[in-house]
Amino acid sequence: MFDQLFDGALVDSVMRAMIPILLAALGGMICDRAGVFQISLEGMMLAGAFAAVAGSYLAAASGLGVLFAVVAGAAVSLVLAFGAVSRKGDPIVLGIAVNLLMLGMTGFLLPQIFGVRGVFAHPRIDGLDRFAIPGLSDIPLLGPALFDNTIIAYLSLPLTAALWVFLFRTPMGLRLRGVGERPQAAESLGVSPTVYKYWAVVSSGVLAGLAGAQLALGNVVQFAENMSSGRGWIAVVAVMLGRAHPVGVLGASLLFAFSEGLGFRLQGNGLPVQITDALPFAVTLIALIAARKRFARLLDLTTAG
Amino acid sequence: MDRTDRLDRLAQGVRQIWANPAVFPFVFAFSVGLAVVLLTGGNPFFAYQEMFVGAVTGSGLRNTLDQAVPIIGMALAVSAAFRAGVINLGGEGQMVLGGLAGALVAIYMPGPGALVVPLAMAAGMVTGMLWAMLPALGQTRLRLPILITSLLLNYVARSITGYLVRFPFLDDSVTLTSTEKIPEAARIPKMPLFGGVSLSLVLVLLLGGLAWLVYKRTVVGYETQMAGLNGSFARYGGIGVERQTVGVMAVAGAVGGLIGTHLIIGSAYRFIDGELVVSGLAWTGLLVSLLAANRPGFILAAGLLFAGLQIGGQSMQRNAGVSWRLAQVLQAVVIVAVASRLALGRRRRKGRRSAEAEIEPAHVGEV
Repeated sequence: MFDQLFDGALVDSVMRAMIPILLAALGGMICDRAGVFQISLEGMMLAGAFAAVAGSYLAAASGLGVLFAVVAGAAVSLVLAFGAVSRKGDPIVLGIAVNLLMLGMTGFLLPQIFGVRGVFAHPRIDGLDRFAIPGLSDIPLLGPALFDNTIIAYLSLPLTAALWVFLFRTPMGLRLRGVGERPQAAESLGVSPTVYKYWAVVSSGVLAGLAGAQLALGNVVQFAENMSSGRGWIAVVAVMLGRAHPVGVLGASLLFAFSEGLGFRLQGNGLPVQITDALPFAVTLIALIAARKRFARLLDLTTAG
Repeated sequence: MDRTDRLDRLAQGVRQIWANPAVFPFVFAFSVGLAVVLLTGGNPFFAYQEMFVGAVTGSGLRNTLDQAVPIIGMALAVSAAFRAGVINLGGEGQMVLGGLAGALVAIYMPGPGALVVPLAMAAGMVTGMLWAMLPALGQTRLRLPILITSLLLNYVARSITGYLVRFPFLDDSVTLTSTEKIPEAARIPKMPLFGGVSLSLVLVLLLGGLAWLVYKRTVVGYETQMAGLNGSFARYGGIGVERQTVGVMAVAGAVGGLIGTHLIIGSAYRFIDGELVVSGLAWTGLLVSLLAANRPGFILAAGLLFAGLQIGGQSMQRNAGVSWRLAQVLQAVVIVAVASRLALGRRRRKGRRSAEAEIEPAHVGEV
């Protein structure tokens, strides 16, 4: 049973599962560094998925879908930015409300615009094409997953590296981290925490929107109600586990994606869907327990005292 | 008093309502809803009219009261945790698992209703409570934030109930993925009120009264509130915050499980896979508690209001062709507006401090 499990198809499903989680988690990481507690990734991802399908359907071109997704994610992120940064509202309350708002809004728009309930699939919706890189895509096991993929997937790994460079090797990245760690010190140096926090939150909206586009136009070509199904929350945990560091976030995303991909494969081997669906969440919880010493800061943040 | 004077007073009155921080979030939410309906080609005025009419006339009033039972119940459950600064987002899982446990007792236990119904409720409460213990002990023993663990456990609870309903407890005589029907004798009866409101309404009102009593008139209520307002201060004052976390989570889980049981043996009469999750009732309750700043009296009022929005929304969907999910949108926008302290006439604020404090949203952490 297990020798059949670890093959190219498993690598492919892990990669599919990883891209949305990684993109959203990178957005959460930027917010964490800027000192904004970002738990509305789930809602922004869902908004991105819906907008991607809507845009792709309207123009019968996936490019417009991706554009719509990015704009939608950014627009939704402004709700948190305005409420938490400008109005100093509770980011936890705002994050929960944004997630529920997007669940309701996409559930509302689906029948209103497309006249269907639950799932919207249509031949006009143009999925993201997979581009094979000649030569590399023939590498056994890893090749097809890594080098025959969508443009968003190609973007995500270099983006992780680019964000590392940005955060730790550029003046702007230093200022962003300064805003998160010592806002008053940053302000006294003429760095506006508000501006940096806004950009951080909007970036997370763009990335979560992209994650949604990959979900709805890359992994499948349709929109289903609540299709983010907890991935945004797993991304929140990935930020915590990865200590808001690009390498850590990538590792955590890979771990969760591996459990999702493995669950997907085990389904094919006859395990009930209900059990395999729980696998990523169970692995996430176990990973939390294993790395529990790292969460002192979040715990202080989310428990009074 | 001449005419312009009167007009002036009227205009001032309108401005005051408009600038009232408790009213403006609703004005804002309904404006957002209006724009959304208009943009998607509907008639928002007709839709709102149908929503209002559907919530209070005909069978609407009964349905609204019935819908308010789980919403108020879940809001009370979450308020116990939130006011103590414990961010329990696991209401859904506690409700769903409790509901299944209660349903199984009601289905498989022989005996008279007077015995089976209380036992089913007890089973639901114990199950919800035990499920809530996982994140509670996770925080006090392993220092894992409840915010995250309780939420992740919702998905695990979905899978567990999905598996149990699909395999061991499946009723294969129907096409639904569901347990067997709850026997007539093991159901929570209806009251002869507006044509049959569940008796659970009384239960929920009693719970609300009990919550008020505990929150306002007991030492435990005072200590949990202190912990919610300032944890280190409470700890310094000798309050065992860890023990308290476990305690409020136990209460939240038990009430959640009780409400889940009511939803099955008092309303749906079958545990259909995924139905309790899709209803979103646990989350509506959470929003209600946030809106009411965790105060029982306000929870009753806000719960009734949100229940009316949902029931009215269903009638709006039937008669105006506008999806009832608009109700969910309105509810979430209200919370966003309250949390962002949206109000017009900000310059008035200084003199209106007390009014503003009244609707200050529940801060669920010291962030």
